[in-house]
Amino acid sequence: MSGSTGTAEAGASAPASGPEREPALRTSSLRKTYGRTVAVSDVDLSVPRGAVLGVLGPNGSGKTTTIRMLLGLTEPSSGSVELLGHRIPEHTGRALPLVGALVEGPGFHPFLSGRRNLARCAAMEPALFGADTGTAVGQALERVGLAEAADRKYRSYSLGMKQRLGLAAALLVPRELVVLDEPTNGLDPAGTREIRRIVAELHAGGTTVLVSSHLLSEVEATCTHAAVLQHGSLIAQGELNSLLESGGPHLLVSVADREAGLEALRDSGVPARAENGALRVELSDRDAPEVIAGLVRAGVDVYEARRERAGLEEIFARLTEEES
Amino acid sequence: MNGMTSRVELPSGTRRRESAPLGRVIRAELGWVLRRPRNLLALLGLTALPVLIGTVIALTGTPAAGSGPRLLSAMAGNGLVLPVFSLMMTQNLLLPLVTAMVAADALAGESASGTLRGLLLAPVGRVRLVAVKAVGVLTVVVLAVGLIALSGALTGLVVVGGDGFVTLSGTTLSLGPALGRVALAAGWCAVQMAAVGAVALAVSAMTDHPLVVMAVAVGGLIVFGVLEALPALEWLKPVFLTADWYSIGDVLSDPIRSEDLLTGLWRAGCYVLVGMSAATALMATKDT
Amino acid sequence: MRRKNIALTASAGIAAGALGLTSLALPAGAQDPNLPRTTPEGLVSSVLDAEAPAMAGTVTVDNDLGLPALPGTGDSGEFLSAGEQSLRVWSDGQRAHRMSVQKDNGEITVVDDGDTVWKWDSSERTVVEHPDVRQRAEAEGSGADPAELSRHIVGKLRDSSSVTVDGTTSVAGRDAYELVLTPKPGERTKLREVRIAVDAEHRIPLRVEVEANGSAEPALRAGFSRIDFGSQDPGLFRFTPPDDARVRTEDPHGDAERHGRAQQDAEGPEPRTTGEGWDTVVTARIPAEAVRGAQEDSRGGKSERNLRAVLERSGDPVNGSWGHGWAVDTSVGSAVITSDGRVVTGAVPRQVLIEALKEA
Repeated sequence: MSGSTGTAEAGASAPASGPEREPALRTSSLRKTYGRTVAVSDVDLSVPRGAVLGVLGPNGSGKTTTIRMLLGLTEPSSGSVELLGHRIPEHTGRALPLVGALVEGPGFHPFLSGRRNLARCAAMEPALFGADTGTAVGQALERVGLAEAADRKYRSYSLGMKQRLGLAAALLVPRELVVLDEPTNGLDPAGTREIRRIVAELHAGGTTVLVSSHLLSEVEATCTHAAVLQHGSLIAQGELNSLLESGGPHLLVSVADREAGLEALRDSGVPARAENGALRVELSDRDAPEVIAGLVRAGVDVYEARRERAGLEEIFARLTEEES
Repeated sequence: MNGMTSRVELPSGTRRRESAPLGRVIRAELGWVLRRPRNLLALLGLTALPVLIGTVIALTGTPAAGSGPRLLSAMAGNGLVLPVFSLMMTQNLLLPLVTAMVAADALAGESASGTLRGLLLAPVGRVRLVAVKAVGVLTVVVLAVGLIALSGALTGLVVVGGDGFVTLSGTTLSLGPALGRVALAAGWCAVQMAAVGAVALAVSAMTDHPLVVMAVAVGGLIVFGVLEALPALEWLKPVFLTADWYSIGDVLSDPIRSEDLLTGLWRAGCYVLVGMSAATALMATKDT
Repeated sequence: MRRKNIALTASAGIAAGALGLTSLALPAGAQDPNLPRTTPEGLVSSVLDAEAPAMAGTVTVDNDLGLPALPGTGDSGEFLSAGEQSLRVWSDGQRAHRMSVQKDNGEITVVDDGDTVWKWDSSERTVVEHPDVRQRAEAEGSGADPAELSRHIVGKLRDSSSVTVDGTTSVAGRDAYELVLTPKPGERTKLREVRIAVDAEHRIPLRVEVEANGSAEPALRAGFSRIDFGSQDPGLFRFTPPDDARVRTEDPHGDAERHGRAQQDAEGPEPRTTGEGWDTVVTARIPAEAVRGAQEDSRGGKSERNLRAVLERSGDPVNGSWGHGWAVDTSVGSAVITSDGRVVTGAVPRQVLIEALKEA
């Protein structure tokens, strides 16, 4: 199983044809309540075409409920969903043939083989025509590495194989959007790598991908965009880069006289503190050159200045702390 | 195994459609229903039952007149009675059980195994899904009833012989009309089971636990049986699905005693309407 | 929104189905039809003169007489003590009749082709053949056929009753006049009135209701629940015994008593009637062994089928100059059975019967 990298740039820079102006996915004021419990409240999510969006959040933060509303499995209490330009749940028939999804783990029948299970899914796919179904099943099985186990009963599959079969069902036909809810659950590191590879492939092919996970490293490694859910509310979303940028970038400055340096910065209103024999300067409202110039002007000798970026983990921790 | 090249090329966008062809979906559903080992075992068991009854009667003779279940005493030397008797016996519990089992798998079972989501995401429209599931249940019902009637008729012919069948009214029918009577009984029984199936399907749309469906369907029939026995509820009896189930034996009268049979059909039709409507309503608004 | 619309539409389906089921539980509320006025006398004579048309129908008998289950009364006894029974009847409008009753374990069919009466019992697989007995057919049918029953009642009671026409009614979808026979003052009877619905077109009774004093519900109602007039398949009135059935040919005279007894509770040889009209009392005699004490039962112990056991259980012991016996009261009449086998019965209070016993 070798991932193809040759088409990556081409796919990323020139997304597939069609009326791709509007985002692949857009929600406004999406809300779901069960009795008095608010599961999801006022989620305004927008996912551009071709993006790989990581939906982050601890267990119970409303990730799966949101995804189920996006796919029309659950009707929102209020708010609206537009999936590939079609209103959901009114026009699921128009949008869903172009969407592959693996939601809440793989669901198959234990008494059927992997191939038969997948053939049953294929028969229900509007986008597959006639004789294509058999071919599509075979190719999807190969793609997820299940070709050899295809004729074994599903009940004999390991957790990882089940997860892969779920992925195969989502990838039966070329999709414009693929939704993967906790795709690496139950997978060993090799399986996790394979999921990453497949997501990268999809991205390279211009497919929009939505991956939900509670594993931050997972999202950091594969996503272009991220959205953070906490207690049913969307507390941050955007491109991963700018999100990391916004998550408190700072400058580590080594100076000769730390006390003088701190004083100078405080005088000019820049938040800073001493850390590991250097100064840690928050870059919230100043640029790095501005900070360095200010220090030099104040007569502080600067030996080295290094710009540092917070990890997703740090940002996530900060975001969720603020909220709670 | 190159990921990018292994994709199926979609025909141009003009052929986009919102749902897979109905015939293909129904074929897939039937394939699923008829590949399930326990469904096959149930059908096999039901087919064996008339053979068993016929053999026991051939070996031991019928009970004395007036004793034993209805129709049993009329069975001596009368092959026509065996399939109808078998239907009457299985109609009370075994057939509803098998029907409810298939209906339970159809929605509640799929929901429990997580496959209902897959169907809705394909997407199979929710109303269409109920229709397809109903076809699946109906197919098993028709197969089950048909197999009982067929194996009953064959056993009857082998054990008793094929020249002349005596109706309950004492007239003698030739083979053709006799088999017609059996077919009529089977058709009537299938409609009653379709009513059970429709209600079970509605319960199936309501819950994620297949056992609940079986319990409600079979429990409901038992409750009907108990309530029927209460004289104070006599006025309510015409509403019970089981009220005329014994009248399946009326096909053996000559001319056919059609009143209760027709009332039974009307009643079953009402149950089918209520059950299918409820299943559709529940499914349309179900959170999966 | 769309899903809610589906749910709404489906709810309409549920409502329609529920309505359909309700229609089964509610009796069809047919309007009383508008018919030309008729006089009681005209109606009675047209009933007595009417020719029986060819028809097929189902008769439902709803019996609230409160009779104890009497042993030895055969099919008719079973018929009389059961709560609700239905039977199918056919007539070719001339000589031939057919009747069939469903029993728990089979069916009894009586075919009268005009010359011979066949009685088939499917649970016993027996055929009883009565050659050349017209009156037998009538006897078999009279307990059931509301037309026969009503003619009989009208014929007997018209002189001792005030006869009125109480509007119109609808029976089995047919327009009918309601003929009411009320006992004249002085008639000592437990009955309040007898209502007979007469088909407006064919002038045959479609339903008879016997109402007793002190009860709003009829004690006995026998009527067509379905009736179709028109010529019937002649094949219905022919009977060929099945190959392997046991066929027994009855002597036309030999078993008259046996069957006669089956018609009434316990009618012995030469039943005698005293009185007229509503307070007619029937006196008969049954074999004294039937009322012999249980201790004398040869098998020892009380047998369910012993008449005396039944009487001791459900009758009141009565004594008088005439002897010793048991009285059984029902909503429509009474019976006294004496220990020496005399039976008096009628639609009258007990005292009338005891007077009849004293006079005998």
